[in-house]
Amino acid sequence: RLSAGTAPQGRLLCGPGLRRSGAGLLVTKCGLLRHRPGGGGAYWVDSQQKRYVPVKGDHVIGIVTAKAGDVFRLDVGGSEPASLSYLAFEGATKRNRPNVQVGDLIYGQFVVANKDMEPEVVCIDSSGKSSGMGIIGQDGFLFKVSLGLIRKLLAPKCEIIQELSQLYPFELVLGMNGRIWVKAKTVQQTLIIVNILEACEYMTAEQRKQALAKLSGN
Amino acid sequence: RLPLSSCVAGERLCSTEEATAGSGTYTRHGFIFSSLAGCLERKNEDNELPVVSVVRDSESQLLPNVGAVVTCKVCSINSRFAKVHILYVGSTPLKSTFRGTIRREDIRATEKDKVEVYKSFRPSDIVLAKVISLGDAQSNYLLSTAENELGVVVARSEAGVQMVPISWCEMQCPRTHTKEFRKVARVQPQFLQT
Repeated sequence: RLSAGTAPQGRLLCGPGLRRSGAGLLVTKCGLLRHRPGGGGAYWVDSQQKRYVPVKGDHVIGIVTAKAGDVFRLDVGGSEPASLSYLAFEGATKRNRPNVQVGDLIYGQFVVANKDMEPEVVCIDSSGKSSGMGIIGQDGFLFKVSLGLIRKLLAPKCEIIQELSQLYPFELVLGMNGRIWVKAKTVQQTLIIVNILEACEYMTAEQRKQALAKLSGN
Repeated sequence: RLPLSSCVAGERLCSTEEATAGSGTYTRHGFIFSSLAGCLERKNEDNELPVVSVVRDSESQLLPNVGAVVTCKVCSINSRFAKVHILYVGSTPLKSTFRGTIRREDIRATEKDKVEVYKSFRPSDIVLAKVISLGDAQSNYLLSTAENELGVVVARSEAGVQMVPISWCEMQCPRTHTKEFRKVARVQPQFLQT
């Protein structure tokens, strides 16, 4: 149980991993307790996890596993396959259907995601524009990492991505379900970037800079 | 009233001029037929015709009729409907639960298009509903909560604590103080037991 040292001013934000219980806060996940002093203060628990639980509004990479009538079944790494309607693409109408095949990669966001119902993914935002979502192109490489690394890579001005972009130009799609898609000019460059991203989980900043210096030297 | 004889379903008992149809019977073409297999009972009324009814050996199962208020428990939800188990008909418990369906357009009386099933019911809620149709052989009972007195009566929050209703569409957990959306029933004060 957590007890506040001094009474904070304003509203205290109770983030993921914490739950209010009576007069105090109860911790529901194991990890590092973080605190942000802005506003009334916010507390949350930073936990490492590999299994993804669908959350509404999250952008994820899904793999199309089946076509059932007007709906595609997507594997998003959760407990249930998600559904994606064929009308949930930009400019899709009943006559103009999107060209989605089984095995394609889709970048979309959850519009329904809770423990009681089947999750639903759409590839348009609330105004009807695709804003980067949709079918991910041909080639490239998809691999899985832990959720904590994705959050680190999505932080603004991430050092890892800046250093990698000085090495080779590449395309990168990050899904909050732990999936990353990379495409560079040649297969060898793609595999090098994949290996570095996978190893970034356990490397310190120094080791990473050394590894990149060795690669750009070669 | 003495049990006269036994009969099977479909047996023609008598004409409607001699008696009136009771429970377990139906009328067709001016005759009374039995719809159950059991004992025939004839009850003599003073002023009117005797009432003919058929009872099975065990206690008669109370079936929900159209328009009856039933108490049910939500077992699963979908974006289009909620599946429920019917536990009580009125105030009598059922020995075996029946299955019912509450369609999305039958949850509320107003603004039916904007209804979200997830914001009205959750699995394991206890709901008061009214039967609107018996359904055919394969389908379940069709129920509706489109009235102020119908809807969620008892619900548990995500913390597992029983929630307190604060309005017709919200309930609050007393321990975590989080509000959750439900279609709450306005239970008459005489039925509340504190």
